[in-house]
Amino acid sequence: MSDILEKLTVCVERGKANKVSPYPPDLKGQDGADELTAEAIKKGISPDDILQKALVVGMSNIGQKFSEGKAFVPEMLMSAKAMKAAMVHLKPFFTSGEVKQKGTVVLGTIQGDLHDIGKNLVAMMVEGAGWKVIDLGVDVGFDKIEQILKDNPGTIVGLSALLTTTMVNMKTVVEKVKAMNPDNIVMIGGAPVTQDYCDEIGADFYSSDPQGAIDYLNGIAS
Amino acid sequence: MGRDFTIKLEPLGEKLRVKENTPLKDILFKYGIEFPCGGKGICGGCKIKMLDGDIPLNREHQQALNKLGLSPDIRLACRSIVTSDLTLEIDQFETFILADSSSFRFTPAEGFGIAIDLGTTTLVAQLLDLSTGHVLDAVTRLNPQAEFGADVISRIEYAIRNAGLSVLQNLIRESIAAMVNKLIFRHKVAVTKVVIVGNTVMQHIFSGLDLTPLSAYPFESKKKAFYSFSPEELKFHTEINAEVLFLPSLGSFVGSDILAGILATRLHQSKKYIALIDLGTNGEIVVGNKDKILCASTAAGPAFEGTNIRMGMRASTGAISSIRDNGDGIKFHVIGNEVPKGICGSGLIDAIAVFIKKDIIDVGGKIKDNTDHIELKPPVIISQRDIRELQLAKGAIAAGLQILLDQLEITHDQVESVYIAGAFGNFINIENTRRIGLIEFQEDKIHKMGNTALIGAKMSLFLDEEDIEPILAITDHVSLEMIPDFQDLFADKMMFE
Ligand code: B12
Repeated sequence: MSDILEKLTVCVERGKANKVSPYPPDLKGQDGADELTAEAIKKGISPDDILQKALVVGMSNIGQKFSEGKAFVPEMLMSAKAMKAAMVHLKPFFTSGEVKQKGTVVLGTIQGDLHDIGKNLVAMMVEGAGWKVIDLGVDVGFDKIEQILKDNPGTIVGLSALLTTTMVNMKTVVEKVKAMNPDNIVMIGGAPVTQDYCDEIGADFYSSDPQGAIDYLNGIAS
Repeated sequence: MGRDFTIKLEPLGEKLRVKENTPLKDILFKYGIEFPCGGKGICGGCKIKMLDGDIPLNREHQQALNKLGLSPDIRLACRSIVTSDLTLEIDQFETFILADSSSFRFTPAEGFGIAIDLGTTTLVAQLLDLSTGHVLDAVTRLNPQAEFGADVISRIEYAIRNAGLSVLQNLIRESIAAMVNKLIFRHKVAVTKVVIVGNTVMQHIFSGLDLTPLSAYPFESKKKAFYSFSPEELKFHTEINAEVLFLPSLGSFVGSDILAGILATRLHQSKKYIALIDLGTNGEIVVGNKDKILCASTAAGPAFEGTNIRMGMRASTGAISSIRDNGDGIKFHVIGNEVPKGICGSGLIDAIAVFIKKDIIDVGGKIKDNTDHIELKPPVIISQRDIRELQLAKGAIAAGLQILLDQLEITHDQVESVYIAGAFGNFINIENTRRIGLIEFQEDKIHKMGNTALIGAKMSLFLDEEDIEPILAITDHVSLEMIPDFQDLFADKMMFE
């Protein structure tokens, strides 16, 4: 039984989405995250175990490698695809409440900026760490976030910026979020962002890579 | 490491000190000398005249000179090594615009013209005799705006945040005027035409246009508009009796330097498809033919210029500029024949290509033995992060090219010629750009073309706005950020396969 979960962990870590996927070459023809998740559910393994003991572990492994420079964007995106393939099977259990997510994070690339690859990686890592993610996409100002915070107070806000010219828009969003609720957490990231800038605009957390954000979020959850 | 020698360059009036055994190629390219055949010693485009001193000949060099039928006081810069004090006349400035043998039909005109390449880093101005098409003189300078940041985004920031547009504008206008006036002062000729090319941000600053639209999405620029100025408002010498024309940008971050590149490669006249790739920070790319041209900026970042690379530096003295592995150990070339201080873009490309071949770097870009760096020639190293940085840059360019090809519904094979523009192109090893997947075309199609912006600016001295407008009409800018496939393609092209 745990054999399936181990295999699934490997598929997520190595980015094997399904049986027909040719990537990675050495796993060609074998079952991927898609088939293994379906099988696990059929065998009666609890969806919560599938999430916590396979997906979260696999994502954490690849995240660790990414932090160390031993994996890069292409590998991360393949892992994301594998995780997504598994998540499709788990979604019904999220809505039914059978699987508990740790909380909700709303993510977006800041207003004026359309670079979204970094934000997408953070989104998949956060989701893969057991959080519910609302991805608002790119060119996100406070107006788009406001409704979400009204509907789900306390939702953690994550902002990404890749341009020094639009990074300043983060300041406005942080101010407005804090005006609504001073305790609402805002985390920021993206290549030009620094810890100093985070302190300067009064955001709660900065990390140069997604793994840092996961550790921070997990700290909040526990 | 041997003695130092003095080299005087005429007609530039420059004097430099260099180490014994320094290849001339290392030092001359900074002065705007081009090596049309990429330093193979076959075109004669880089020939120089020895006014004083001697450059010894080896057999290969002698044969090249014989083949080209050149007189005994002439050498090919690409084959020359410094072993004594020298005074050199740079012949290239006496030759026709395109230093290669291809023909550019132009109608000889009265008077003299000045072509200016207004780069983010360097400024070059050349004086031409419009009746013969010959370059009479050239001046180069560093862009004085560099003090406010190396890249265009930092200039935009300064202009917007510090209300610094007029500061930047004054600085650049003063420099350009000084260069133009120097040319006039030296030659005392009547200039009838001045053409300036530069990227969109340089165009906006020079023209005093608001930079806010270029600072955030949707990154709109005043595209396809010609801007002209009177010599008086630019404080040019009174002997200039001509409109000064800044050629139009093609859209967003693709400027008139790339339009000039289209002119230089004659892409717009070709039946077959031609591609132009500028390996600078903006990573502009163009693919097209006489019917349709697409362009884009891939935002590669400054990795090819040595920025954001642990021991990266520009292609100047002390930089490892090429690395070769001939089976009997790895050979490094250091610019200026010095102890290495760092590595420049071409060296980085070579290093990665060599280590992929030696199976030290894997297809994903990881250093196989899990260390975080690879040693080159001490004290220079490349780090795991440097490899990642290069993957981002080359992935962006290769993905952008794929998107333009897809939009034209053609494949790499259907592109007849590929031209590489950009200052560091001179040192680049084409085979290695292919090996790392930066440029995915057949090797014999790829040509280094040097400063295509300047070449095109010179050509446009013989053209009118009406000649350029049809090019603008068939050229479209593709905003890569609007392409949903970009992320997957980008990831795919980051691999070394
Ligand atoms: C790919 C790319 C593009 C693509 C974007 C495609 C897309 N859909 O995202 C395209 C080609 C469209 C593009 C366009 C532009 N780009 Co661009 N682009 C790049 C490039 C090459 C890589 C960026 C990237 O994806 N990195 C990989 C990701 C994974 O890294 P990351 O985003 O930093 O994210 C990581 C961390 O920062 C962190 N993180 C990110 N967000 C968050 C959020 C949180 C909460 C946390 C905790 C962490 C976190 O986690 C991620 C994983 O580690 C860089 C140059 C480079 N070599 O880096 C330029 C670059 C970012 N671009 C730049 C520019 C200027 C532009 C343009 C404005 C102009 C142009 N030249 O065309 C346009 C405008 C685009 C727009 N409308 O917004 C500049 C910015 C310079 C500056 N000083 O601001 C750069 C640096 C290149 C340069 N000129 O030097 N670009």
